[in-house]
Amino acid sequence: MDMEFIRNIQGWGYVSMIFIITIGLYAYIYHLYKSQRDGVKDYEKYSNMALNDEIDDTLVEAKDPQNDAKDNKER
Amino acid sequence: MFHWLEKNPFFFAVGVFLVIAYAGIVTILPDFMESARPLKGTKPYTVLQIAGRQVYIQNGCNTCHSQLIRPFKSETDRYGKYSLSGEYAYDRPFLWGSRRIGPDLHRVGNYRTTDWHENHMLNPAAVVPGSVMPKYPFLFKKNIDLDTAYAEAETVKKVFDVPYDKPGMPKLGTFAQAKKAVFADAGKIVAGMKNQDVKDAYKNGNIKEIVALIAYMNGLK
Amino acid sequence: MQSSNAINYDYTVAKYFTISAIVLGIVGMSVGVLIAFQLAFPELNNLFGEYGTFGRLRPIHTDGVAFGFTVSGIFATWFYVGQRVLKVSMAESKFLMFIGKLQFWLYIIGVAVAVVSLALGYTTSKEYAEFEWPVDIAIVVVWVLWGVSIFGLIGIRREKVLYISVWYYIATFLGVAMLYVFNNMEVPTYFVSGMGNWFHSVSMYAGSNDAMVQWWYGHNAVAFVFTVPIIAMIYYFLPKESGQPVFSYKLSLLSFWGLMFVYLWAGGHHLLYSTVPDWVQTMASIFSIILILPSWGSAINMLLTMKGEWGQLKENPLVKFYVLASTFYMLSTLEGPIQAIKSVNALAHFTDWIPGHVHDGTLGWVGFMIIGAIFHMAPRMFKKEIYSKKLVEAQFWLQTTGIVMYFTSMWISGITQGMMWRATDQYGNLAYSFIDTVEVLHPYWTLRAVGGSFYLIGVFMWAYNIYKTATSSKAIEKEPQYATPMA
Repeated sequence: MDMEFIRNIQGWGYVSMIFIITIGLYAYIYHLYKSQRDGVKDYEKYSNMALNDEIDDTLVEAKDPQNDAKDNKER
Repeated sequence: MFHWLEKNPFFFAVGVFLVIAYAGIVTILPDFMESARPLKGTKPYTVLQIAGRQVYIQNGCNTCHSQLIRPFKSETDRYGKYSLSGEYAYDRPFLWGSRRIGPDLHRVGNYRTTDWHENHMLNPAAVVPGSVMPKYPFLFKKNIDLDTAYAEAETVKKVFDVPYDKPGMPKLGTFAQAKKAVFADAGKIVAGMKNQDVKDAYKNGNIKEIVALIAYMNGLK
Repeated sequence: MQSSNAINYDYTVAKYFTISAIVLGIVGMSVGVLIAFQLAFPELNNLFGEYGTFGRLRPIHTDGVAFGFTVSGIFATWFYVGQRVLKVSMAESKFLMFIGKLQFWLYIIGVAVAVVSLALGYTTSKEYAEFEWPVDIAIVVVWVLWGVSIFGLIGIRREKVLYISVWYYIATFLGVAMLYVFNNMEVPTYFVSGMGNWFHSVSMYAGSNDAMVQWWYGHNAVAFVFTVPIIAMIYYFLPKESGQPVFSYKLSLLSFWGLMFVYLWAGGHHLLYSTVPDWVQTMASIFSIILILPSWGSAINMLLTMKGEWGQLKENPLVKFYVLASTFYMLSTLEGPIQAIKSVNALAHFTDWIPGHVHDGTLGWVGFMIIGAIFHMAPRMFKKEIYSKKLVEAQFWLQTTGIVMYFTSMWISGITQGMMWRATDQYGNLAYSFIDTVEVLHPYWTLRAVGGSFYLIGVFMWAYNIYKTATSSKAIEKEPQYATPMA
């Protein structure tokens, strides 16, 4: 492999990264707001994980709903 | 997809790792395929110079002195020709530094002498009034670690194909041969010095750290 | 809820690392103050023979505060925050408890060997990676153990989704692991040649390549030691202390990915106008500017979290620490990109402006977050009130004054020296000899050292306050939900 070929690959790697960042991040914003609007998931509720963090506080989302049902008021 | 990542810590971690590793893969790895090529005339360090370079590193000279002349007129006027990549081909590690509390040393061998260094290392402020450099009297007391210097030369020769013993390049040879060469090189430096302790030590078969350090700095051109 | 009352969070390991953060903070910063005074008064270099020169002590300062104080702080907060946001106790797993304690003791041994070896001059010379290979191996082991703790705790968590702080801790773990291993690839000379000092090694990379790897590491070590884990802390401690949910959780997630994508591309800005390829330099410059966005995304999110609650700033000194920390974060993440612009860098590189920039980040952002975090954790770990609120207030103002003195003097001295280096007379000759540009810095260096001393005194006040809290403060019956109780 000569250096020019390597520089080409690096250039492509670099450009594709910029596209991935741009598309990926905008898609992520869209995903975040869409899931909130459609009522699929409100991401803001996760900030309560820092506020209500006693070991017997209500879980925001139980990892295992069956076993932890007793820990969780909502379920 | 996003939500799936958020509840699968393992794949989340893999995703984060790929994202942060990607920059290194694109920007750094490819340049190793073209291993740093030395300039014509760039030679590996002699064993005495390696010993001096180790002294330089041990005392953290690189925390205050850079070895990188940038391509600006103000720098080339002050320090000499700007630095080229190939000049560093045998520098393991590189010693560019990040802060010039003292001046750049990349070409210090062009404008400082053995005599100057000897006086300066003993008491910098006496040679350069206002200097904030520490005094280094202990370099005149401690012997060099010849074994480790030779070990380094042999390691880079074996592992990284540094061209010792090739035509036109410095000789390395066996330890006994290298030791002889080191004493010959050191003799030239000691002859230019005034310090009686260093001279006596050399006669008794000991090389002080200051000798190796000066040999290294005189070679920076 | 009565079901899980039997379990409580277990802060044993968090307490250990709190102590090491305080002790190593004092050690690292004392050395820092000493070397700051050495620049202003060079005779101080001769205090301890060869072991007391600036060149020997400087790595002990930088590594001491980065890998001693800061990393201890990261570990301490992880072993506290990790349990709480995952809602699982260390007491539930004997294995994780053992790993945590093992990690602590290996860490302490590693730190001791590192300090002694640096003082003796065993160094690879690569900044923030000065340790020779045996210490490197110890560090890798400690790091792997921490990884076991993180993923072990995540494995037995009750909350399904990981809180944003945990994201940042995971990124810290992965980032540092990758960077540290690749930058410290070295060949021990003893094992190849069979002679010489067995501690000695040579770098796998040479010249410009070595420089590129080093600053890819150096820049991103700052990312993953001084930025990412500290963001993890502020996303927990500011909301918890103030009782306010994060202003926009969505923004925090977005900033996370933005930071991860962009940060690693910017390392080349340490090598502008050097001999690394030109496109690497330009790209690094551009990405450094882009980096403002995700950094400010987090910082603004934190400031907006306090929206409508600014009154707390008056009553609660810890909120002061956190808010000032995120303000300093904004300052230094704006300053950094400015310095990465090529023409600015031509002036700023190799001058005091660079350590000035580092210190408004580390003193203001990293230091204040760790100090504030430990103030928040102490009453909950020791079940006691903070010993003295007045002392906390005094410490805050003393240290803030110290930081301002530090960075203003460094800005002035850096720009002065940079301008003097390039100044020419009417014939185009250099106007100043090098020593002229050093002598003029004396007043700024003195001021910087005094500013650093203020900060160090503040650290002693912090240590005393935490010590008194643990030993002789009033007990609290029930853990407060939000604001930290202070006497």
